[in-house]
Amino acid sequence: MTRPTAKEIKAMADVAGVPVSPEVATRIATSIGPAFEGFAAVAGTLPLDMEPASFVLVQVANGSK
Amino acid sequence: MSAEPALLSLTAVAQAIAKKQFSSREVTQSCLERIAKWQPRLNAFMAIEAEAALAAAGAADAALAKGKSGGVLHGVPIAHKDMYYDAGRVVTCGSQIRRDFVATTTSTALQRLKDAGTIRLGSLQMAEFAYGPTGHNSHYGAVHNPFAVDHITGGSSSGSGAAVAARLTFAALGSDTGGSIRLPAHFCGVTGLKTTYGLISRAGAMPLSQSLDTVGPLARSAEDCALLLGLMAGADPEDPTTLARPVPDYAAAIRLPIKGLRIGVPTAFYVDDLDSEVAAILDETIAVFRREGADIVHVELPDQRQLTAACQLVLAVEAAAFHKRWLIERPQDYGPQVLMRLQNGLAIPGVSYLEAMRWRGSALAAHNAAAAGLDAVVAPVAPVAAPTIVESDIGNSPDAEAVIQRLTRFTRAINYLGLPSLAIPAGSTRGGLPVGMQLIGRSFDEAMLLRIGAAFQRATAFHERVPAFA
Repeated sequence: MTRPTAKEIKAMADVAGVPVSPEVATRIATSIGPAFEGFAAVAGTLPLDMEPASFVLVQVANGSK
Repeated sequence: MSAEPALLSLTAVAQAIAKKQFSSREVTQSCLERIAKWQPRLNAFMAIEAEAALAAAGAADAALAKGKSGGVLHGVPIAHKDMYYDAGRVVTCGSQIRRDFVATTTSTALQRLKDAGTIRLGSLQMAEFAYGPTGHNSHYGAVHNPFAVDHITGGSSSGSGAAVAARLTFAALGSDTGGSIRLPAHFCGVTGLKTTYGLISRAGAMPLSQSLDTVGPLARSAEDCALLLGLMAGADPEDPTTLARPVPDYAAAIRLPIKGLRIGVPTAFYVDDLDSEVAAILDETIAVFRREGADIVHVELPDQRQLTAACQLVLAVEAAAFHKRWLIERPQDYGPQVLMRLQNGLAIPGVSYLEAMRWRGSALAAHNAAAAGLDAVVAPVAPVAAPTIVESDIGNSPDAEAVIQRLTRFTRAINYLGLPSLAIPAGSTRGGLPVGMQLIGRSFDEAMLLRIGAAFQRATAFHERVPAFA
């Protein structure tokens, strides 16, 4: 997963309806970069049949009885 | 029994009121006297409601005189993080934007404690919108650590940590989305329980991240946390994420010994780059568990950095979505750091967010496999004791996110996995700053964590340390 650049972040914020200045976009890029890098090994590897609700199933199956 | 009722534990003071050893009014007055003394130094309370609290205490005493008890916490004065809606009351959420917001409903967790007989002392300070791990608040000022007032309390349940530590309230509700109960518990020397996602209703609690938010208590002991948890846990039709499971007898669980239990010590991540005093306290904590008869085993957990990153992606997006309207209409009314962090969520693509959400079940399964056969895992809450307020006043500086990540390094993965974690006082630095350890458990197995925590507290006295008013 590639961390977004400041230019891309500015465009994304504009599309979201919350425009940010180039300076803020640069700061955001610095802030969120480590999250993208930390998740890079997982991103793009998940199988088709996996959805967020599986979390609750695992919780219940493996939790305290 | 202490001559100053405010110094009693929650469990003890509830029993003392029930047995009429102290009246609710005497207890409330004792708390108010301590609040009057400490508040100028700590800034722990958002609002102090002395007259109303004394009136409610008088009513509780009158009811008890007629043989009418409101519940196991009848007449016990208590204050909570100022994000729990209480119908007709201002709930600031630590913010300028909600400075005058009056709740029209009462949160389920708060209502269940009211139903048990608690009375309201006021409300407690917090990080703005519960989005800050240090205890700073640009609108209402930083909360100060009772053990060293130039040091932070941790956040976001900053007032809860400080007020419980200084014996201004017997316990307090906090919330934990990325460490917000455990960090103040660690920095302030109190016991804090981050509950399993889905155990306690979040209805009527200000949201930050719907997939990560949890409600839990900060108190003076595991025993007190067990008492509160038993009252609050359980399904709530107002919060469909709560699961319909029987509520265990937590009070009975804490009386059990821990001989033969298996406690894991991570081989990496949670033991890396620790301050030397924190590392020594971790070793001493393990030694206590071993003396109490637990089997200590090393455990290799999955990559916690990936879990932490996933947590950050989820939290940033959900917080930005909750706040989008105000980000458009009132950006100037946020503090600089909270505005900065909310803006971070704008830059994360929807697909990345959903990947982080989709991976969650698989990640929890991998954790469960790694921790199979263990009753708990012990780890530090943070790599350091409380830094000073000045050195951690990072605002929206370029380094702010890195500092925040360092403080929350050992807490966020647990929120992503939705697991319970009990933070317990485990020692202090040579300078007198508290250090806590966390016990990480299986989903919905708070009873086990409380059992281990209570055994630790029977063997040690760190949780009984009261800050001196020097």
